[in-house]
Amino acid sequence: MIHGTAPACEAVIMSTVDPLISIVEDDESLRQAMVGLVRSLGYRVASYPNAEDFLAADAGLHSNCVITDIQMPGLSGIDLKLRLAADGVTTPVIMVTARAEPALHEKAMASGACCLLRKPFTAEALIECLDRALAA
Amino acid sequence: MDQGERGDLFDLVHESIVVRDLAGRITAWNAASAALYGWSAHDALGRAAADLLGDLPAPDLLETGRWEGELKRRAADGRDLVVEVRWTVRRDTAGRPLEVIETGRDITARRQTEAALSLSEHRYRNLFAAMAAAFWELDFKPVGDMLRDLRSQGVTDFAAYLAEHPEVARAMMRVTTVIDVNDETVALYGGQTKADLMGDVERFWPEASTEVYAAAVVAAASRAASFSRETRLRKLDGEEFDALFTACFPRESVGRGTLLIGVIDLSARVRAERMLHELQAQFAHAARVSMLGELTASIAHEVNQPLAAISTNASAGMRWLSRPQPDLEELRAINTRVVADAERAARIIGRVRDMAMRRAPATEPLSINTLVEEAVLFLRHEAQGKGVMMDLSLAADLPSVLADRTQIQQVVVNLAANAIQAMAAAEGPRQVGVRTALASDGRIAVTVSDTGPGIRPDDLPRLFESFFTTKADGMGMGLPICRSIIETHGGSIAASNNAQGPGASFSFSLPAADA
Repeated sequence: MIHGTAPACEAVIMSTVDPLISIVEDDESLRQAMVGLVRSLGYRVASYPNAEDFLAADAGLHSNCVITDIQMPGLSGIDLKLRLAADGVTTPVIMVTARAEPALHEKAMASGACCLLRKPFTAEALIECLDRALAA
Repeated sequence: MDQGERGDLFDLVHESIVVRDLAGRITAWNAASAALYGWSAHDALGRAAADLLGDLPAPDLLETGRWEGELKRRAADGRDLVVEVRWTVRRDTAGRPLEVIETGRDITARRQTEAALSLSEHRYRNLFAAMAAAFWELDFKPVGDMLRDLRSQGVTDFAAYLAEHPEVARAMMRVTTVIDVNDETVALYGGQTKADLMGDVERFWPEASTEVYAAAVVAAASRAASFSRETRLRKLDGEEFDALFTACFPRESVGRGTLLIGVIDLSARVRAERMLHELQAQFAHAARVSMLGELTASIAHEVNQPLAAISTNASAGMRWLSRPQPDLEELRAINTRVVADAERAARIIGRVRDMAMRRAPATEPLSINTLVEEAVLFLRHEAQGKGVMMDLSLAADLPSVLADRTQIQQVVVNLAANAIQAMAAAEGPRQVGVRTALASDGRIAVTVSDTGPGIRPDDLPRLFESFFTTKADGMGMGLPICRSIIETHGGSIAASNNAQGPGASFSFSLPAADA
């Protein structure tokens, strides 16, 4: 884990050619854990504590994939995806939630999420999603 | 001998002198008689004594020669008089009766005072005997002597002295003796007759109540009018009971060295209070469990977060380990995070367990800000799920409150959960503010406000009533339980609609711990 100077964005560059994954998660410890996992997979990572910071950094355009929590204070992960779509940004979005309601899952998929992960998720499930997203 | 012959002396004596002949006619009437009865000598002389002064008892007066007694008479102006009279028969040299000489003394005022006194004494005895409170009359004189001795030894602060020397207070009990008790005392203390309670009073005072006896002694010594204190006293069989002990020190009895003590049995009241507290705690617990049930999803999420983090960290750890050159720095960082997350999960579960467990309320000095922060964690996910922003504004440097953590958290969670629910159908911004502040009266205030539709004015006065609810599936017990919790803590709770903007606010305040 690298502590960036800008609190909203913690990024580390592993290799100029590796895909950049943006992580949006309000729970700090989970965010750190996800950053660690994605880095262990060999990707570059940028992380944001909320959707607003992510959008303000215009990170959608520069990311190869976005992993976002759905329930967050302020804009939700679904809102984030809809904002990106409205701006014509087609970066694939993986959504993460602790909730099990089918209605929420449908809503997430309908917004254009490429993948939906239930917390807690396994590394394999995340890898599968990332592979699918980056292949798109 | 007629009036003129009796001379000046006759008119100078203070006592009334009336002479009547054997036929009962008045033959002499001195100035004191005129003053006493209101008739002048002119009016009285020649009149029948019985007409003027009423019945003349003692029919055998002429044989015995003397009679004395008290007679009720009426003065010329109608006043009732009590006159102490002595009759003496004057005889001639042959022993034949000549006339009856009466001396009379006005004792009306004395008799009235005595009657009033005896009435008052009678009333007092009646009260003492018949009141449904236990009364004691105690001989306190030897304690007065002990206090005087102490004073002569230079003791000025009896309160401090007796606090330091409880054995002296116990010694004072041993020289305080019972003069009288009423029937209620005999019954309350479990005796058969008054005799069972006679003797000194030490056996009625448990050690732990010594300071109350000492305080009563200090009150008596400081010439207070009365003293009263709740304490525990002991019955004849040794059983202790809660009592209101009262002592009054009327000047007359203090002068005589006696004290009047009243003892009111509070055990029924204390039992009822204890039962009420127990019931209240049970209710509060039932409400907490029901609240936890409603918040299950939110709580599960709170536990799930660190579990998800642990699982994710572990997966990452496996990756770093699997590399040809394991990255120990990464692994160390991951391990640190796992420990922190496991601790976080344990803390959340501990809080839930505290809420769910039933235990006797226990107060301790607490930081209200920490308490609020913890309570809000129960609701974070609930708020997010309903699109509600939770905004904490916690005042710095607040004094701590003396409170039961779980119960006050229950109140905060209940108020905040209500606020979140109130906005389920609200348009516009959905915000719940939780604010702590130091109120102007030195209390610590917690306010939970929302931006929902507010409270209907008709409902405002009934919000804290049991079974009053505006929710379709509400029990109407949440707010009454909040109120009973806050009031048990010596605080108060109130609801109002926000003056600026939409929504309602619920505020409670608690006394500061050091107040």
